[in-house]
Amino acid sequence: MSQPLAQILASAAFVLAAAWLAHRQRLGLSRSLLTAAVRAALQLAVVGALIALVFEVPVLAVAFVAIMVTTASLTAGSRMRALPRARRIALAAIALPALSAVGVLLLVGAFDATPRATIPTAGILIGGALLATTLTGRRLVEDLVAGVDEIETRLALGDRARDALAPLTRRAITGAMVPLTDQTRSAGLVTLPGTFVGLVLGGASPETAARVQLTVLLTLLLVQLLSALLTAELVTRAATLPGERVAVPT
Amino acid sequence: MTRPEDEEPVDGLAVRDLTVGHGDRVVLRDVSFDARKGSVTALVGPSGAGKSTLLRCLNRLLVPRDGTVLLDGEDTAELEPTALRRRVGLVGQVPVMLPGSVRENLAYGLDPVAIGDEPLTEALRAAGLSEAFFDRPAAELSGGERARVALARALTREPELLLTDEPTAALDAAAARHVGATLRTLADRGLGVVVATHDLPFAAEVADRVVALRDGTAIVGAPAELLAAAPSGPATVRGPARGPEPHSSRVEPPA
Repeated sequence: MSQPLAQILASAAFVLAAAWLAHRQRLGLSRSLLTAAVRAALQLAVVGALIALVFEVPVLAVAFVAIMVTTASLTAGSRMRALPRARRIALAAIALPALSAVGVLLLVGAFDATPRATIPTAGILIGGALLATTLTGRRLVEDLVAGVDEIETRLALGDRARDALAPLTRRAITGAMVPLTDQTRSAGLVTLPGTFVGLVLGGASPETAARVQLTVLLTLLLVQLLSALLTAELVTRAATLPGERVAVPT
Repeated sequence: MTRPEDEEPVDGLAVRDLTVGHGDRVVLRDVSFDARKGSVTALVGPSGAGKSTLLRCLNRLLVPRDGTVLLDGEDTAELEPTALRRRVGLVGQVPVMLPGSVRENLAYGLDPVAIGDEPLTEALRAAGLSEAFFDRPAAELSGGERARVALARALTREPELLLTDEPTAALDAAAARHVGATLRTLADRGLGVVVATHDLPFAAEVADRVVALRDGTAIVGAPAELLAAAPSGPATVRGPARGPEPHSSRVEPPA
């Protein structure tokens, strides 16, 4: 049996086994497991074909990164849509840190300025920024609603709106950074991160793979912290009304 | 009608033709009354009548759609909001304790070195607690203790007026009487007290003037006339009915 055929048959068998198991256990998950699998297959097939094209035509690489940023912003924006200007907040909080980091890495020559190197790097950084923005934004929206009495108390004691919101934003940022730093801490021990696996499977030496992976992981820490900080700052601005008042999302 | 700025300035808050709404809904329409320093003004009415909304307009946590609130003759819209809120303190219905000890709560937003312990002790005593509470974690206090710390915390800012929202909501009769006596003492010392309450007997006991809110409008008068006319709606009756004379039934402040 050829390797591609073996890969397809094995993965299809695994997902069918998962669906069967879910069905047997009456978890009501079989359908969503199968649709998720089909969706992933289609998306990856399309992306695979597209990337092959993008690797040949550099202009398309820029468009590809733009699509990644847009999709990430829409996703993060929908997670905090109770806030005014949620999409714009998400766009700024994801694009600014992720794209700046890509620019710096390319400028210093950490990666080749080719579509083949830039697109996966940008993808990982945009994905990480998306995660940080979503975690911070969602926590902030929840805390704004649940903490309305606390915010009002601080305002009534003479706090500026920004100061009344500061404890909430600090909690949201630290809360978001915990799973993100855990991910870095466990790299290599608990999980073999995607870049490392991809490079090794692609034929790179484990040493090269580890070096590239470390660069990406450490860049991610700053990108994600900046995304969380930007989200908090922009949500603070969006929630602040004239006259040192706070708009609580409904 | 005289325009607000033509009047003799009121020593305290002067509410003039206040209209407040959320979206299409008008909660309060053309509400006017005075809340003078050295007196207790009670805002009464059933729940949903707009008492809390009105209180929040007095320190501009809410901005009214129309009308003005003057503090000592100055339009509160022109004052710096944080300075206004230190002059007009608010104790909300839910006494929120901020992280830290009682002392940290009392000194919140103040310079702890510059202020020292004395004003904090004084505020704590005025609210009916001793300085033994200073180092207690605020999160561990009981509901009644929290309410007192919240009151004391508003007092450490040395406000000229104090707004308090349903201060007796969660209290038994004895505790409610104690709160009434505390507010009365504060007013007798010169503070302007505005208390929102659905508890008519409590209002009759402590208030010099009553602002009755019903269907978005306000009727202002002495407690006796208004409460005698009030239908026996949601008023909480505690113990035997008390005489309607506002001043005869005042409780003595605790020693």
